[in-house]
Amino acid sequence: MTAAYILSQIANGLILGSMYALIAIGFSMIYGIVRLINFAHGDIFTIGAFTTLASVGYLNLPFPLAVVVVVAAGAASGAVIERIAFRPMRGSPQVTGFIASLAVAIILQNLAILTITAQPRTFQVPEYLNALVALGPITVRVIDLAIVALSVVLMVALVIFVGFTRIGIAMRATAENYDVARLMGINIDRMIMLAFAIGSGLAAVGGLMWGSKYGQISPLMGLLPGLKAFIAAVIGGVGSIPGAVLGGYVLGLSEVLFVGLLPPEYSGFRNAFVFGALIVVLLVMPNGLLGKSTETRA
Amino acid sequence: MSNWKVKFAALAVALLGLAPPAMAQDKIGIAALYNVSSGGLASLDGPSLNGVLLKAKMINEAGGLLDGRMIEVTAIDTKDDTREAATAGQRAVAIPGLSAGIGHSDSTFALASAPLFQTAGIPFVTSGATSPDLPAMIGSEMFLVPFGDDVQAHAMAEYAYDTLGLRNIAVWTDNGMDYTTGLSKYFTERFTSLGGTVAVEDVYMTTDTDFSALVARLQSTAGVDGVFASSGPDTAGVIVKQIREAGIALPILAGDGFDTDLLVSVPGPTLATNVYFTTHAYVGLETGPADTFRAAYEKEYGRPPENAFAALGYDAMGLVADAITRAGSSDPKAVTEALAATTNYADAVTGAIAYVGGSRVPSKPVAIMQVEAGKVALKTTVTPKS
Amino acid sequence: MTGWGASLTAAVAAIGAALIWWATGALSPYTLSIIGFAGINIILAVSLNITNGFIGLFSLGHPAFMTLGGYVTALLVMAPERKAVMLKELPEFLVAQHWPFLPALVAGGLVAAAVAVFVGFPVLRLRGHYLAVATLGLIFIVQSFAVNFSGLTRGALGLSGLTALTSLWWVFLFVALTIFVAWTLKHSSLGRSMLAIRENELAAACLGIRVARTRVLAFALGAFFAGVSGGLWVHLVTLISPNSFTFLMSFQLVVMVVLGGTGSITGAAIIAILLTITTELLRPVEEAANLFGLSQIIVAVAVLLVLIFRPTGLFGTAEPDLFRVFAKDAKRTEPRPNSNP
Repeated sequence: MTAAYILSQIANGLILGSMYALIAIGFSMIYGIVRLINFAHGDIFTIGAFTTLASVGYLNLPFPLAVVVVVAAGAASGAVIERIAFRPMRGSPQVTGFIASLAVAIILQNLAILTITAQPRTFQVPEYLNALVALGPITVRVIDLAIVALSVVLMVALVIFVGFTRIGIAMRATAENYDVARLMGINIDRMIMLAFAIGSGLAAVGGLMWGSKYGQISPLMGLLPGLKAFIAAVIGGVGSIPGAVLGGYVLGLSEVLFVGLLPPEYSGFRNAFVFGALIVVLLVMPNGLLGKSTETRA
Repeated sequence: MSNWKVKFAALAVALLGLAPPAMAQDKIGIAALYNVSSGGLASLDGPSLNGVLLKAKMINEAGGLLDGRMIEVTAIDTKDDTREAATAGQRAVAIPGLSAGIGHSDSTFALASAPLFQTAGIPFVTSGATSPDLPAMIGSEMFLVPFGDDVQAHAMAEYAYDTLGLRNIAVWTDNGMDYTTGLSKYFTERFTSLGGTVAVEDVYMTTDTDFSALVARLQSTAGVDGVFASSGPDTAGVIVKQIREAGIALPILAGDGFDTDLLVSVPGPTLATNVYFTTHAYVGLETGPADTFRAAYEKEYGRPPENAFAALGYDAMGLVADAITRAGSSDPKAVTEALAATTNYADAVTGAIAYVGGSRVPSKPVAIMQVEAGKVALKTTVTPKS
Repeated sequence: MTGWGASLTAAVAAIGAALIWWATGALSPYTLSIIGFAGINIILAVSLNITNGFIGLFSLGHPAFMTLGGYVTALLVMAPERKAVMLKELPEFLVAQHWPFLPALVAGGLVAAAVAVFVGFPVLRLRGHYLAVATLGLIFIVQSFAVNFSGLTRGALGLSGLTALTSLWWVFLFVALTIFVAWTLKHSSLGRSMLAIRENELAAACLGIRVARTRVLAFALGAFFAGVSGGLWVHLVTLISPNSFTFLMSFQLVVMVVLGGTGSITGAAIIAILLTITTELLRPVEEAANLFGLSQIIVAVAVLLVLIFRPTGLFGTAEPDLFRVFAKDAKRTEPRPNSNP
């Protein structure tokens, strides 16, 4: 096992982790503000991938423009789903929202299968994204760098937005306490919808990246990345945006290293490892890496 | 009666109207069991079902079977769920006037539904499940339209050793499917008996998309001169893309799971190169039944056949119809006998079907396909020694 | 249970037995198997209600326990000669086992319960969504093991050609047992402790209820019945594979509990029957219209509507008096389970 081998596995883990992190942020934001585990989040990821297919594959939009379209489509679907499915049951027990999101996920998946069939599809990314770049002993492709860079930029932008802008502060106030936020003149409906829109927009970009990197998309592609991103969010501490990012990278790295550093006969236990790791993390640090320990998890 | 009650009653009447009519004696009942609505197998089962329906329609348009009796296909969705497959089997055998069942592209599902046909004494013809042990596990009513996995894996192992001159191979196996684990087993068996070695065996699950860790391991294993990727269609293109993107130019070998457009469309034509896979012989054939099939499929569904599984479904329906004609009856018992006595069903798109020496796995030619720069071409056809 | 209750139970049991006796002779195997699945769904929904409804844990882990129970039962009842052919790497002592169906089912349930206890002690300290995800993870973990330990399970192919041992009588026996246990539990001091924990954990602890232990008990009890159902299920389908029980099934079971009313035994049972039958009835529509997947959409939309317009489900936590279901006073509103800020 050479140093180059380990380095390339680490690079693989970071790339995978970037995508997990982007999806995990949405989970965390939505959970932070409405205490909802949004199971349909993985399907927004799928919507992002298919929007890319539509804009790049059929409308022949330039790739950077496609990114914008994808963010918009993801944000719009997130907001619509919030309005139709989740707002009417706000204030019900936590479990209610969770089940509702499961129902939404099932509806989205089956609608996709009914309309565009379960056949996997593909789209081509511009040639310049596929060029190889040498980074010391390892080689990666431009798209890998783009994924990491775009993820980092989006995450930093989001942290600044939530931390320092008026709207961001209003969102955090809403997450803290609805009633007080409302008394402060904050339109909490709008804040919640905004959290859904931002989180979903990021998940949609995750779908675009996933589809561009692996080259294949299907209506059911969102399930496993969605679940893993949720685990990333939990590992990082649900509700915390930096936590979700950290959790995404930790999960991506450990998943790839688990497969890469252990003998091949363990590769089949990859998913078992990911979920097992979740249980262990929850045991050792019930609030995740960066979660607030004071928050009641009722 | 309030308005919704009226509507409900109307719906109930509509539902009853949809149930198969009791007077079905004049029709020939065929049940088609496929996972169409969900799961990774939908990309095989969907085309297969289309193939079955297309062939049935063509037969009906040509005047039906046995002096004008029409074929009525009842398609049952088994939803990627073995429980659904078992209840579908129960439902199917209860259809009045059923002559045969067709279905499934994976042995696990055939094992769930075919035993019910066996018990009911109705033949079950699988269009795509390739485990050669199926007839032994299920019984006298079980027939395969495709060749067995042993045949295609052995053909590929021999081709790899003799023609490509490979000696030291990496084997990747999708551990989540019976088809892929069987294929790897048969390949390894024959390849090592020829004198080759397996340098590294790696496994993954059907739902995996990220193969970077496996690719890095492949890259760091010294002396490997080829990869046998035992995969279903959903991972075919993704695997080739990731291996080639890492700059690995080794030949990639595979079974009929690679027979999908995704193999070329996902990695793109430049990366889809130096790939060999075995499949059901029809792709390279430009004449006769294969042409008729392609034209009819495109006319019916507005796209060319997605993969060989469309052709296999078409052949399964054709084989059953042929057996009914030869039996001169739609009685399941007579159909089973006629199926078992099939010596040369030559209209098959995927190669003539013959059940030799009491076997219910056909002895069929295996096509070895080569992919160069995005072009899939028939390299050679291997007829297994019986 | 009062004397009146006992005689009512006996009467229900007798009517059920008579119905099964009639059905076995009169109905087609297909209809019988649908009834069988409806029955198993009752066991699953009612037992999940012990975990999710009574004590307010949100578990999605039933499919994992069913897989465990299914494999254990199948391995124990299978004839040694068949095992020798099918599972060549099976340890000697397992090959030799050839149990009758009932003890094998119970063993399957016990193994599932043991795993639940093992997993439960650490995981049940978590609440709500954490437990949901941890139990969801358990499905994937069990599935990975089932796929990769091919010496025990024959890998992805699964164990096929199992004897169709599950008759309606077995299903009926366990439906009756599950409902009896759940009912007795709900009206016992232990059950009231569980409801107390659901409503207010802190207050319950202050009253001297051992919260952790009671939770593990509820979780393990649910897992036991899930394990038994797994055994029943696979001997009805005659096949078990690592993909037999997936996460989609968790969704369906949770739907049954929620629609029926979290904590209501009657509600869970009624919805289990309704949902099984509705799915079957929608099937010909799907097939005729070539709209596969439609039934899932319809069920999911129905779930959303119920959650919006009747969030307590059919019965809330209540057990309606069977003779007065339609009387107005049966429509008491129950307090909602712990609502969130």
